[in-house]
Amino acid sequence: MDIQVFPHRILGSDRTEMLLNRIESLNNVKRTVIQGPRLPPEDPSENPKYAEKRVITVKDKEIELKVKTGRVFVDISNDSDVIDVKDEIEEICEELLPFGFDINIGKFIRTQRTVTDNLKYGNGSVPDELIGMTDQSARLKDRVTILKKD
Amino acid sequence: MAQYYPGTTKVAQNRRNFTDPNYKLEKLREISDEGVVKILGHRAPGEDYKSVHPPLDEMDEEPDYIKEIVEPIDGAKAGDRVRYIQFVDSMYFAPAQPYLRSRSYLNRYRGIDAGTLSGRQIIEARERDLERISKELLETEYFDPARTGIRGKSVHGHSLRLDENGVMFDMLRRQIFNKETGKVEMVKDQIGKELDEPVVLGEPLDEETLKNKTTIYRVDGEAYRDDKDAVEILHKIHVTRSEGGFCPE
Repeated sequence: MDIQVFPHRILGSDRTEMLLNRIESLNNVKRTVIQGPRLPPEDPSENPKYAEKRVITVKDKEIELKVKTGRVFVDISNDSDVIDVKDEIEEICEELLPFGFDINIGKFIRTQRTVTDNLKYGNGSVPDELIGMTDQSARLKDRVTILKKD
Repeated sequence: MAQYYPGTTKVAQNRRNFTDPNYKLEKLREISDEGVVKILGHRAPGEDYKSVHPPLDEMDEEPDYIKEIVEPIDGAKAGDRVRYIQFVDSMYFAPAQPYLRSRSYLNRYRGIDAGTLSGRQIIEARERDLERISKELLETEYFDPARTGIRGKSVHGHSLRLDENGVMFDMLRRQIFNKETGKVEMVKDQIGKELDEPVVLGEPLDEETLKNKTTIYRVDGEAYRDDKDAVEILHKIHVTRSEGGFCPE
């Protein structure tokens, strides 16, 4: 089962960093996907004061943020705990997202290989846990970061 | 006073205020003349207005009664070019919205051409008049630095979720919220050409003020259906229009 957090505003990098760190520190969280409008590519002529793109640190791992967070999908490792995890995430969001958010339980990350997956990676060569972690136009290594859990 | 808009809610009252030329709009911020010229991007600050050559006085114009009856506005008198400014209003409680802008502009200003689309609104006028009008639009209740965009092109964003700091999405990132000062700065002109120095547009209005000033009916603000008077008039227009026939021949 997945949990979707839909903030009522698009999140910047600082808040995304805080939110991901808090969510990743929960037990039972297997995978997290952030989805949203893409951040503009770095422009050397732009005043660094206004730059939005930066590297965030989640659980001591550096991740280059490619999008502005519009939605967060959280995959739960044990489906029977989904209600408890949802409550925990809701508590975190109430603290970090003062402008409001929606939270839902459902299936938000796809679990089946698509034709594009097979064409890109060869038949069945994508491991199960990487299915649905990126969109078809991007390369896996550009978008997926693997965090080691204790 | 003419009935400019039906309704008993605050939104209806705000709509009446904008469209009533006798209502004095509240001035909320100060933007220099030079700043306005920079934002518009039609001429460099200090540069002369480009106008017809030879000058209008030296031209032999055809006799026209209308020219005698109607006094021309300053820009027309000088033979200025027609230039534009275009605004985008967020659906999230922006103070103005396109239809209202057109209605109110036509009630308030002479010698203008207003074009309305669902998410943006353009106003065209002679250059020097446009600058005067733009200054008024930017300094008064018509404008909020975060929820209103000045966009000559690439206007997409009025219906998208706002950024966490309340600024409307803009693919060209013209208006940027400065975290240090808490003010919104215009770093590009309206068509996205980089400015040497940003023009400070001031602090965004807070949510409470915006909800008081907005002219947009919203379920999470004042819902249109709750405004009985406005709905009744709308029904009346619908029924009379249907019974009268859209195109009687």
